[in-house]
Amino acid sequence: MQSIVAKGKDINEAIELGLKLLGTEKEKVSIEIIQTETKGFLGIGAKPAIVKLTKLEAAEAQHDPDKNDVIEQAVSEINMEEVAVLSDFLPEREHEGEHQIGTKEPDALVGKAWVKNGALFCKTSPTHFPTVTIGEKVKLYRNHELVKEKTTIVTENDVYEIKVENEKKDTKWKVWMDEKKLKVFLYVEPGYKITRKLPDIEPSQHIELVVEEYKEVYNTLSYADVMQKLESLQVAHQFIRQEQIVKALEAKEPGTYEIAAGVSAKDGKNGWIELNVDLQSHNGPIANEDGKVDYREIRTIPSVDRGQVIATIHPPVPGQPGVTVTNEPIPPEPAYPVVLQAGRGIMEVDGKIVATESGRPQVKQKGRLVKVSVMPKLTHPGNVDLSSGNIRFTGDVEIFGEVEKNMVVEAKGDIIVHQTVNMASLIASGAIVSYGNIISSEISAGKHNMLVAELGNLLSIIQQNMEKMIGVIRQLLQSPAFKSNDFSRGGLQPLIRILLEKKFQSFPPFVKKYVEMVRNGENDLEDDGWKEIADSLTKLFLSLTNEVISLEWMIQLSQKMKELHKASVSPAEPDSYISIPSALNSRIYCGGDVFVTGKGGCINTKIHADGALKINGIVRGGEVYGGLGAEINETGSERGISTVIAVPRDQKIRINKAMEGTVLKIGNAKYTLKETRHYVSARLDQDDRIVFE
Amino acid sequence: MEYSLHESDEYLEVKLVGDLDIDGTEIIEEELIPHLEKYRMVNLNFAGIQFVDSTGMGLLMNMVQRLKEKGIKVTISDVQQDVMNVFEILQLPEILGEEVFV
Repeated sequence: MQSIVAKGKDINEAIELGLKLLGTEKEKVSIEIIQTETKGFLGIGAKPAIVKLTKLEAAEAQHDPDKNDVIEQAVSEINMEEVAVLSDFLPEREHEGEHQIGTKEPDALVGKAWVKNGALFCKTSPTHFPTVTIGEKVKLYRNHELVKEKTTIVTENDVYEIKVENEKKDTKWKVWMDEKKLKVFLYVEPGYKITRKLPDIEPSQHIELVVEEYKEVYNTLSYADVMQKLESLQVAHQFIRQEQIVKALEAKEPGTYEIAAGVSAKDGKNGWIELNVDLQSHNGPIANEDGKVDYREIRTIPSVDRGQVIATIHPPVPGQPGVTVTNEPIPPEPAYPVVLQAGRGIMEVDGKIVATESGRPQVKQKGRLVKVSVMPKLTHPGNVDLSSGNIRFTGDVEIFGEVEKNMVVEAKGDIIVHQTVNMASLIASGAIVSYGNIISSEISAGKHNMLVAELGNLLSIIQQNMEKMIGVIRQLLQSPAFKSNDFSRGGLQPLIRILLEKKFQSFPPFVKKYVEMVRNGENDLEDDGWKEIADSLTKLFLSLTNEVISLEWMIQLSQKMKELHKASVSPAEPDSYISIPSALNSRIYCGGDVFVTGKGGCINTKIHADGALKINGIVRGGEVYGGLGAEINETGSERGISTVIAVPRDQKIRINKAMEGTVLKIGNAKYTLKETRHYVSARLDQDDRIVFE
Repeated sequence: MEYSLHESDEYLEVKLVGDLDIDGTEIIEEELIPHLEKYRMVNLNFAGIQFVDSTGMGLLMNMVQRLKEKGIKVTISDVQQDVMNVFEILQLPEILGEEVFV
């Protein structure tokens, strides 16, 4: 916007000069008087008149006609006669602060607006128009038209009317019953009336129209309304809580009241088994009261003698029925007794479970079914050697001597060895504990074995590749230039041969390794699935069979592989664990946790633990895997011998001192340490990269 | 599949027309390969090839490798885009050598 400040002998002259400079007319500018002229005495103390002229933007296209009116008015009011009045008025303004505004002196009201008895008054001055800000719930009408802007200029020439809104809301309420018919609720939202009034406002250059509010609550809910509703819901009288209804009737704020309540049924307790012996075998070393750890006291083995009470059977406790607010009975959940399945060495006498043989008690509970048995124990006082022969036993085995070269100890329960295991095999379905070192031996604890774990791993890699290959074949079948009619004559083999040439060239070695492992371990594999898949893979990728192979056949094979892999990955078995002081050149498989407790640690040893792996000593060479994470004191060596520490992708590896040659494998990601690192804690980030914490 | 030969000095242009598929086995194995072995440079012009199948691509791989073993420089030119897409899915350029496709 273009504006100019002009000086003149008097206001008129100043305006004329300004208009000339702007090249416009009086109607097309807004005029602000900055200073009126002062005549002075003999020219001393005389001041010129100063005005500021602002060109109105496209005067014909004004957005706000009201405002335009105001300005035009302002311009027309400025004439010579008024100037004299103005100059008289000016000194007054300087003393404004001293003036008592309430005194209705006409001059004091000039340029101000005020409110009296709900009506708006104002008095404009040539230099100032009073402004009014319209508050909430107030409507200001100018000449019967609603003023929409928040703050507006008011003038004497217009007619104003102020309207304030009152509000009224009726009482709202509802009554409902819960699903079980145990409770009835009443929600009430009391009605109210809000009366608003605009108070008188003292004259000021700017006033705000703010209303005063009076809120009166009218809770019109009546006792009869509530009782009628309760009756229609058929609520029995004795369950109604009168005092809550009274509270609701008196409520000033919205709220929910529980106005009737039945009695809920008290459920019975199923029969249960109370153990009379401690059945917990404590895994791994436990710190004593001083916080010290005795690695010899690695485990407490529960045992019972003949005639000892293992557990007491408690009968079920019946529940108590309840009643609904409509006076209907609620039956309690029925309570059932336990069903005892007495296994070997167990007899039930008068609700007591008694051992008829000595050994390790086993209690397994699944729902109401309780299986109890006593695992017999074989104690072998000397060494296992050629004179004792191999030991195979259906219960636990405890050997106080050594297990010597080429000997085998196999147990359906746990195995405990007190001395060294050298070039031998220990196989247990439960746990294995050795107090002597493990040297060049094979140790397996749990349902599966190392072979199944390794084959499962390979199978997963092969299956992933197979899926990719199926994907590529599907992609080809959708390519416009690809013809597939030779599939019906020669099968997929020509295509697979091209795929193996480059795209899947790393694939056949995995298949070859799998097939060889299955062939070598055939006798140890209970599931025929391993061999069937080996035969199919041979046919598909290794031999050049003439049999026509279809895509469907490949998809089915992939599915079979997926299922077998899934079955081979068992969740960690809590009853299977291995605890040994140290291992050298050995292979250790465990369905649960593995603890290597001694300083010696693991040298050139392969460990597979489906549970957690904890090694207090060093791991040098070999490969260790912890299905639920690995915690190791020291890994690798100063000479940088390759030592692999592996965990699944969702687990962590922790090593106090990881030396050169340590390879961390988390899921499919791999990281080789080039120099010694302390307090390593490694995991995968969101992008499957190994990160250190 | 049909083919025509266009000779110039020691360089032979082979124009292939039709589908490179299982039906072309005899033509390639018994006619083309023995014939091409007489030249030092051979270009297979694929402008007329619209469709391929896996057997056909196997034959092509076999042919290029056999000729290469004899020290013959083989190139393949003017492959249609759809056909090239199939070749690329199977990484044929990497198997035969990127320099073969011109």
